[in-house]
Amino acid sequence: MRLTRSQFVAVSSCLFIACAPAAAARRPRYGGRLRIETSAVVTSLDPAVAQPGSFDLATKRRILGSVFETLVRLDEKGEPQPWLAASWTHDPTRHRWLFAARPDVTLHNGAKWDPPGGVVAVDDRRPIEDILRGLANPQNAIVVRGPDGVLLGTGPFRIAEWRPGQALRLEANDSYWGGRPYLDAVEIRMGRAKRDQSIDLDAGRADVVEVAASEVRRVQQRGGRVVLSAPVEVLALVLDAAPPGLERALLLAVDRAAIYNVLLQRTGVISGALLPNWLTGYSFVFPANMDIARARELAGKQAVTFQYDQQDPMIRSIAERVALNAGEAGVTLRPVAGGPAAVRLVHARLSTAEPGPALVEIAAAFDGQAPRVSSADPAQLYAAESGVIASRRIIPLFHLPAAVQIGANVRGWPSRNAGIDRWPLDEAWVEDRAR
Amino acid sequence: MTFRTKLLVVSSLTVAGAIALVTGVVSVASRRAFERVDQERRRVLLDQFERELEAQGHELDTKIQRVAASPELLRIAIEAERRDADFSPFNDDARLLAEAQALDFLDILRADGVIISSAHYPAKFGYKNDWLLSPGDPAMSKSFLTRVALREGAAVALASERAVSAGENRVYAGGGKRIDSAFLAGLGLAPGVRPLLWLPSGEVLDAKGPVGDAWKLSPLIDQLKRSGKECSAVIRWQADAASAESIVALPLERGGSLLGALLVATSLREQIGLERSILWTGVAVAAGGILLGVLLGWWTTARVTRPVAELVSGVQAVAGGDWSARVRVSSHDEIGALAEAFNRMTEQLIEQRDRTVQAERVAAWRELARRLAHELKNPLFPLQITIENLQRAREQHPDQFDEVFRESTGALLAEVRNLKTIIGQFSDFAKMPKPEMESVDLNALIQEVLKLFDAQFHTPGGPSIQPVLELAASGAVIEADPLQLTRALRNLILNAMDAMPKGGTLRIRTSRVDGMARIEVEDSGQGLSDEECARLFTPYYTTKQHGTGLGLAIVQSVVSDHRGRISVRGEQGRGAVFTIDLPVGGAA
Repeated sequence: MRLTRSQFVAVSSCLFIACAPAAAARRPRYGGRLRIETSAVVTSLDPAVAQPGSFDLATKRRILGSVFETLVRLDEKGEPQPWLAASWTHDPTRHRWLFAARPDVTLHNGAKWDPPGGVVAVDDRRPIEDILRGLANPQNAIVVRGPDGVLLGTGPFRIAEWRPGQALRLEANDSYWGGRPYLDAVEIRMGRAKRDQSIDLDAGRADVVEVAASEVRRVQQRGGRVVLSAPVEVLALVLDAAPPGLERALLLAVDRAAIYNVLLQRTGVISGALLPNWLTGYSFVFPANMDIARARELAGKQAVTFQYDQQDPMIRSIAERVALNAGEAGVTLRPVAGGPAAVRLVHARLSTAEPGPALVEIAAAFDGQAPRVSSADPAQLYAAESGVIASRRIIPLFHLPAAVQIGANVRGWPSRNAGIDRWPLDEAWVEDRAR
Repeated sequence: MTFRTKLLVVSSLTVAGAIALVTGVVSVASRRAFERVDQERRRVLLDQFERELEAQGHELDTKIQRVAASPELLRIAIEAERRDADFSPFNDDARLLAEAQALDFLDILRADGVIISSAHYPAKFGYKNDWLLSPGDPAMSKSFLTRVALREGAAVALASERAVSAGENRVYAGGGKRIDSAFLAGLGLAPGVRPLLWLPSGEVLDAKGPVGDAWKLSPLIDQLKRSGKECSAVIRWQADAASAESIVALPLERGGSLLGALLVATSLREQIGLERSILWTGVAVAAGGILLGVLLGWWTTARVTRPVAELVSGVQAVAGGDWSARVRVSSHDEIGALAEAFNRMTEQLIEQRDRTVQAERVAAWRELARRLAHELKNPLFPLQITIENLQRAREQHPDQFDEVFRESTGALLAEVRNLKTIIGQFSDFAKMPKPEMESVDLNALIQEVLKLFDAQFHTPGGPSIQPVLELAASGAVIEADPLQLTRALRNLILNAMDAMPKGGTLRIRTSRVDGMARIEVEDSGQGLSDEECARLFTPYYTTKQHGTGLGLAIVQSVVSDHRGRISVRGEQGRGAVFTIDLPVGGAA
């Protein structure tokens, strides 16, 4: 069929008119608020104040990433990129680094961010790569304390309302140096159980909620939009007061593959290492194979106490499977609700992309003691990680991604979460619900 | 115990025994009646239990049929047809289906019995199911009892199972309802009966939940495990006996293995209450009966035993010396005959005593006459000889008469004094005065009396007597008449000296024995026979050639007037010991 010119113009016009609303729907829209729910509980927004609990700490850093900015930021590949610092140079000894401040940056109160001399000096003898990764840590964000004691940042959102441990409301920073974010506001509710979060999302009371790794596949099968991070959560058994040799027996007894396939619905990674492979590149070196016959030989008949978070359905089901496997090897893991236990199933989360600090954080989350990791060199890191696993009697099981389910009206949220230390709030926008 | 008391006790015990017997019989009868009612209740409960199982089994079959017909099971069955079937996406299906059908347990199984999805134990996927029937079991068409292993312990369940197929391969859905408190609550039983469920985990449930103090059932459960048959026991839950329950344990089995036990507990509160009521009624009736028995027995035994008591009083009076006692004869039975015999006996005793007194009095007079004649005849004969000498000297030798007269009158006077002495002794014995009490130091008194005999102990040419005093250091002061006591001691010393014609040792001891002051006078003379010892204090009895037989009788009279005692012991050839015990306070 051939069209005449007039016919072609008419058809093209109709198509343009018909497609225009659809195209408009995909264009970012300014305005609206984004409602996020999290199970974590953040008690202080001061980056310098410690936040107990690895999940709470990670959530705090993700919030602060949109409020307080760092001189340097890690990109999707984990490489440091200039952020508040436009460039950097060093003195001849390479022990003093001068970071030139971005010129058009203002604080949340409208004042210009103007460090002395327009530079931030950092005295550090480490290699520049380590220094940059350290500066990218939200803990080292640029925070200015105002005359009234209020913490002022330079990020795309400023703190509008803060109820510690319960809720936080962020408002768009109109004078943000990178341009005003699309969202007018972001509301974050804390301490919500994942089941309640899912209900709130279905009921239209939330836009972004957390999803357990074990539920990712089901949510996706139901048509839900799930955004996964790199594996940043670690699931491991920690033997606090168990008889000698039990860790080897449990290491061989746990059927990681069955748990991965069925309970985790193939989400995450089976691992025998504390740090994920994307962070170190060597996690496959740590053994994670099952050998129930050998486990039975090593274990003998014994019963020990077993503690895990019985309120978390995923953790509970994995713990029960671990107990079944251990029972096959002759070890009875007797669940206890609280107090000290011989064996614990621990779930912790990384909040930094620096391997050394990440190992320190994870080890501290598992047994409350932070090891000394002097260097990010892979060989030394491996030695440190091996030492932590052996000395602290840790049996790593899985690395799991952090997963969030995004509401249907949320746009601009990357399908793969870029960094582990912030939510992409400056990129997200919401469709008009009335539409 | 008196005869009357015995009669009372016997009658009371008879009444109490009879009432106890009646009470026991009534208690046993009531207990048997309760047991019959219990058995009836138990049978009703068991029927009800079986009906409930059947009804719930039907309901369960329907639910499992719905599960088997669900799209989820169909999807799983379709997946089972694939060569590389992946059941992992269905892990949560059993939970969702169980929630939809309100099932306590649900497992979805592969054809080989491996769990695909478990509602009650999600972590158990990949493991072999151990509580459902084997694939192809003909019993699969209806519900059955089974034991379900849980994360902690185990539960007894009513289960049902169905197969689903989408081709050649089958999958199975097996679900169950927990036999628990809710199940028991649905039985709706008669008051006083409660069903309990013992689970292999050791837990015991009733209709309200877990039972406290379940350990008390352990012996019963152990017995059930051993025998595998119905057994029973009475369990007391609290200190109060009324908290007891009679419990019958019935095994719940499958394939010969014990799944649990249904315990039918029947409260014994009513039974124990009735038994207590019977017991207390029995006790009250017994108490009343005993009281009545005592009163009637008192009256009856009083009538029966009064003559006996009078007889006893009469006998006691006679034993006390009142031989004039008489008993009233109030009946003509054996007791009356006994009373008459007693009265006759006392009359005869009095007659016999009078005769004896008379005889003794005559004998005493004869003895007195004999002694008087003997004592008086001795001085009379010298008197007669002297007077005849005087007459002969006047007639034949007038020249020597004066000299003879002088000598004869001297002799006559001596004999007359002798006669007066004899008469005086008899007179003294007849007129013993009443003692006049005063504080007397026995030791001093004895020493003074002994001084009187110093000359006689050491008379040249006479027998040598060695006095030895062994006097108590203290406590020798008593209330006594010193003159009479001196006289008694003097008689004893004289008596001892007479017993030692060839000399010897005279020991006098004082001491305090049993609150009495004791004086012992011991000689080393010829001693006494038992017969002499027995008769020695009899008046006018003497073992000496010239004694009046009144010395020791006087001693006994003095001691008796002081409310004391005197005794003698001795052996032939080994001397004799006279012992006087005097009250310290003197005669009352």
